[in-house]
Amino acid sequence: MMSGDSFSVASSIGGFGQEVQNTNPNPNPAAKKKRNLPGTPDPDAEVIALSPKTLMATNRFVCEICNKGFQRDQNLQLHRRGHNLPWKLRQRTNKEVRKKVYICPEKTCVHHDPSRALGDLTGIKKHFSRKHGEKKWKCEKCSKKYAVQSDWKAHSKTCGTREYKCDCGTLFSRKDSFITHRAFCDALADESARLTSLAAANNLNFGNDSMNETVINPQPGLPLGASQFGSGFRPELSGMAINGNSLGVDQQKPRLSLWLNQANSQLNPTDMMANSHLYESSGSTAFPEMVQAVSGNLFGSSSMPNFGNFNNQQFQGFDKSVSTSKNASLSLSALPHEMKEEGNKGNVVETLSSLYSDTQKKQSKPSMPMSATALLQKAAQMGSTTSNPSSIFGNSFGVMSSSSSNTTTSFNTLNQNRNELHQALQNSKQQAAENFTASGSVDGMLGSSNLSSLTTSTNSFDQLMMQTSGKQSDPVALKNHPGSNAIENSLTRDFLGMGGRESQRPFLAQELAKFASMSSAMGLSQFTGNH
Amino acid sequence: MDITLFTPEESPFFQSTQQSNGQAAIDMHSNNQPQNSHTSTSRSSDSGVLPSASGKWASRLLKECAQAISEKDSSKIHQLLWMLNELASPYGDCDQKLASYFLQALFCKATESGQRCYKTLTSVAEKSHSFDSARKLILKFQEVSPWMTFGHVASNGAILEALEGETKLHIIDISNTLCTQWPTLLEALATRNDDTPHLKLTVVVTTSTVKSVMKEVGQRMEKFARLMGVPFEFNAIMGLNHLAELTKEVLGVQEDEAIVVNCIGALRRVEVEERGAVIQMFQSLRPRVVTIVEEEADLSSSRDDFVKCFEECLRFYTLYFEMLEESFVPTSNERLMLERDCSRSIVRVLACDDEKSSEEDCERRERGSQWSERLKEAFSRVGFSDDVVDDVKALLKRYKAGWALVLPQGDHDDSGIYLTWKEEPVLWASAWKP
Repeated sequence: MMSGDSFSVASSIGGFGQEVQNTNPNPNPAAKKKRNLPGTPDPDAEVIALSPKTLMATNRFVCEICNKGFQRDQNLQLHRRGHNLPWKLRQRTNKEVRKKVYICPEKTCVHHDPSRALGDLTGIKKHFSRKHGEKKWKCEKCSKKYAVQSDWKAHSKTCGTREYKCDCGTLFSRKDSFITHRAFCDALADESARLTSLAAANNLNFGNDSMNETVINPQPGLPLGASQFGSGFRPELSGMAINGNSLGVDQQKPRLSLWLNQANSQLNPTDMMANSHLYESSGSTAFPEMVQAVSGNLFGSSSMPNFGNFNNQQFQGFDKSVSTSKNASLSLSALPHEMKEEGNKGNVVETLSSLYSDTQKKQSKPSMPMSATALLQKAAQMGSTTSNPSSIFGNSFGVMSSSSSNTTTSFNTLNQNRNELHQALQNSKQQAAENFTASGSVDGMLGSSNLSSLTTSTNSFDQLMMQTSGKQSDPVALKNHPGSNAIENSLTRDFLGMGGRESQRPFLAQELAKFASMSSAMGLSQFTGNH
Repeated sequence: MDITLFTPEESPFFQSTQQSNGQAAIDMHSNNQPQNSHTSTSRSSDSGVLPSASGKWASRLLKECAQAISEKDSSKIHQLLWMLNELASPYGDCDQKLASYFLQALFCKATESGQRCYKTLTSVAEKSHSFDSARKLILKFQEVSPWMTFGHVASNGAILEALEGETKLHIIDISNTLCTQWPTLLEALATRNDDTPHLKLTVVVTTSTVKSVMKEVGQRMEKFARLMGVPFEFNAIMGLNHLAELTKEVLGVQEDEAIVVNCIGALRRVEVEERGAVIQMFQSLRPRVVTIVEEEADLSSSRDDFVKCFEECLRFYTLYFEMLEESFVPTSNERLMLERDCSRSIVRVLACDDEKSSEEDCERRERGSQWSERLKEAFSRVGFSDDVVDDVKALLKRYKAGWALVLPQGDHDDSGIYLTWKEEPVLWASAWKP
C-alpha cells in the first residue's frame, strides 16, 4: 500500500471528467526502473482518466468502408491501405514522451485515486472488466466465470489439470472432492489436537518483543541453541519471507503471507506454527530450512496445522523439501546436537513458529486476503516449483553438516515421526476396513464370530441338501401366522438345514445372514481366506 | 481385502454338491448359470417357473414370489423362496444380490417377521457403525457416483443464491449425509466475497446409525470452518422421534437469521400421513429457501397393493444396484455396505406395513411430482438458476458416463431437476420459497 511517502498528489484530483487531466506530483528522485507495487505510478506521469465506455470498447477504430473494427488506430490505417484509401501512420513523437498512467473510473475503486493509477492501458482495461464488469466467460469444467477472455482462456488450459493434495497424502483431481475430503480428513483432527497440546505444554508466549524469551523452553538442550538461533535470525525475520519482500523468491510469497496474516488473525496463534515454518521453508534462506526441518519432523506431512485455506496443500511440495532438507537444517551448526533428538524438535518448532507468527502479525497489512481458490492455485504452483529444493538446501548446508551420515540418520529419525503418523493413520483405517471386511464375509451382521460358523455352515449345506430333498416330498402348508411354528421350522430346516433350531422364533437376521453366508461360503472358500 | 466375485459358474463346488448328493430330486437349476438362464426341469408341480431368457431371472422370480405371497399360495411361496435362496447371494452379480436382499424381505413378509428382522438389521448396523467407517463409506460413494453430490451441488447453489448478501445464516439440515454437503458451501462462503457471513448449522438426524457419529462430525465441521475462516456454529438435534415435532425453539431459530431448510432424503422417512404436517412445520420456520432432494420412486401410493409396491421397489433398487455396480470397483467394500443399507429399507418397505415404529424410518419414497403436490400447499417453486444448472452439469461431467441432468419442460408439475442414470430418473432436486 502506498504510504504516500514518496509523493503527494496534486490537489486537482477531484472531479475527473472524461478529459485527460494532468497532475504533477512532486518529483521522485528515483529514476531507476524499480518495480513498484501495482498501482504506484511514477509521480512524473500524466494521469489519464478514461470513461467506462472507452475502457470497455473493443474495436473503437472502425473502417468506414467495411465497418471492420480495430483495437488500434495503426491497425485501421494499415487496413485502409487495402481499400486504396488515404492512410497515415502516426509517427512516434520524437520529443520526450510523458509516461501515461490511467485511473479507474469507478469511484469506489482503489485505483480511482491517481496515486494508485495503473501504468498500462491494457492493464486498466482488464482491471475495469475484471473488477467492475460483467463476467461473460464461463469455464465449462468448473463453472467459474470470467470477465476477461484471456483470463478465461488461461484458466481453461489449467482447469482440471491441477491436482490437489491433502496432508494425508491423497491426491485429488477434483476440487470439490478435495474440499470434502479435507473437511473430514484425520490430518485435520490430528493437527489441531497436537498443536493445542503442545502449545499448552510449552506455555509459549507470543509477544514479539519477548522473542528471545519464547525461545527458552522447558527442554534443556534447546534454549541455548534456540536462542542463538533466535537471535541469529531475528534481524532476518523481518526481512524474511514474511511478506515476501526480502525473500525475493516468488511473487507469490507476498500474497501467501497476506493470506497467512489474515488467517492468523482468525486463528489461534498456535495454529500458525508449523505453517509459518513451512512457509518459510519454502524460501531459500538458511533459517527456514531449520525451522522447516524441525517442523517437518514434528508435523510431517500429515500434521500440518489446520490452518488457513488448504495451506497444507502448498506445503506438500514443502514436505518433500522438508524431508529432504531436514538433514541440512538439522546439521546447522547453530544448533546443539541435542536438537537432533526428536523430542526437542517440536519445541524448537513452536518457538520458532511463535517468532514467525509474531512477526507476521506485526507486519500484517490490511490488504485483502486472497481467496481460498487463489491460494490453492498458488500453493499448487509453489508446490510444483519448490518441490525439489532438496538439492539446493542440501548443498548450501553441505558445508555445515558434519557428514552425510549424520544427515541421513537425522533424516531417518525425522522421517520416522512423519511415517509413524502416516502409519497410525493407515493402520487405523486399515483396521477399520479389515474389521469390516472380516465380518463382511459373513454378511457383516454377525461380527467376527461367524467366521467359525462358516466352516460349520459349509458342512451343514450338505445336510441342507439332504434335508431339503427329504422335505420336498413332504410339503407343509404355509400359513401366514407367525404362530405357525411348524411352517417356520420346516422352512428353516429347508433353508438352513440347521437341525438345532428348537426355538420357534421367526427367522432372525442372523439366520438369514447365515443362509446367505452359506451360499457364499460354498463358492467363496477362497474369499474367506482373502483378507 | 479382496472380495472375489462369486458367480455360480465359477464355483464348481456349488454345483457339484448338488449333483454329488444325488438326492436332488428337485433339479431346480440344472443349468448352472443362473444369471443367464434359468431352467427348471423335473419339478412337475411347479407351475410358475418358466425357462427364462437371458438375464433378469431374479426379477422374474421375485415378482412371482411376491405374487404368490399376495395370493397366499403357500406351496408356491415355499418353492420360490427356496429357489431364490439357492440362487441368491449378496456377493454375486446384480441379480443375485437383488435376489438375496429381496428374498429376505419376502421371507419376512411371508412370515410376518418384518419388524423384528428390521430391528435386528438396524441394531447390527448400528453396532458396526463408526465414524471412520461411515466417513469412508460416504466419501467414497460421493467420489464414484453423483448420487449424493447432485443434490448437494444443486441445493448449495440454490442456498447461496437465495442468501446472497445475508450476514447471519442459519441452515437447518434435515438429512443423513454426515454434513458432507457443507464443506463446499463453507468454501464458497469463504471465497465468494470479502465479508464472510456467520453460519449456524443445525443438523436434525433421523436415522439411528448416523446419530452415533454426529458428535465427531460436528467437531470436524467446526474445525473445518475455522480453517476456512467462516464464523460457524454447529448444533445437532438427535432425540427427535418425529420431524413434525420440530419447532423454532427446538431448532434455536432467531429472528435476525436467514433460515434455510435443507432436506435431503429425509422426507421419505416421515410417515406418509404426517408429511403434510412436516411441510407445515417448515413453513412455520419462515425460511428463505427450502431445498428438497429425494430419490425418485413411488412407494407410497401403492401402499395397499403389495405386488405393485413390490414391483416399484424392485425397479428402483435394480437401478440403484446396477448403478452401484458400475460405479464402484468390483471388490469394493463400500459398495457392499451400501447394499446392506438397502436391505434394511427394503425390508422396511415391504415387510413392515402393519406395525408402526416409533422412529422415522418409513422409507416410502414418492416421486418428485408427488412431493411437489405436497409442497405446493405451503411454498412456491424457485427455479434453479442457469449458473446452478451449469454447476450441476459440470459436476456430472466429472463422473463416469451414464449420468444426465433433465430440466423440467415448461412449467408443469415436475418442479425440479432430475438426475438420470441411463435415462431413468433417479433423483429429484428442487427449491422452494414461501
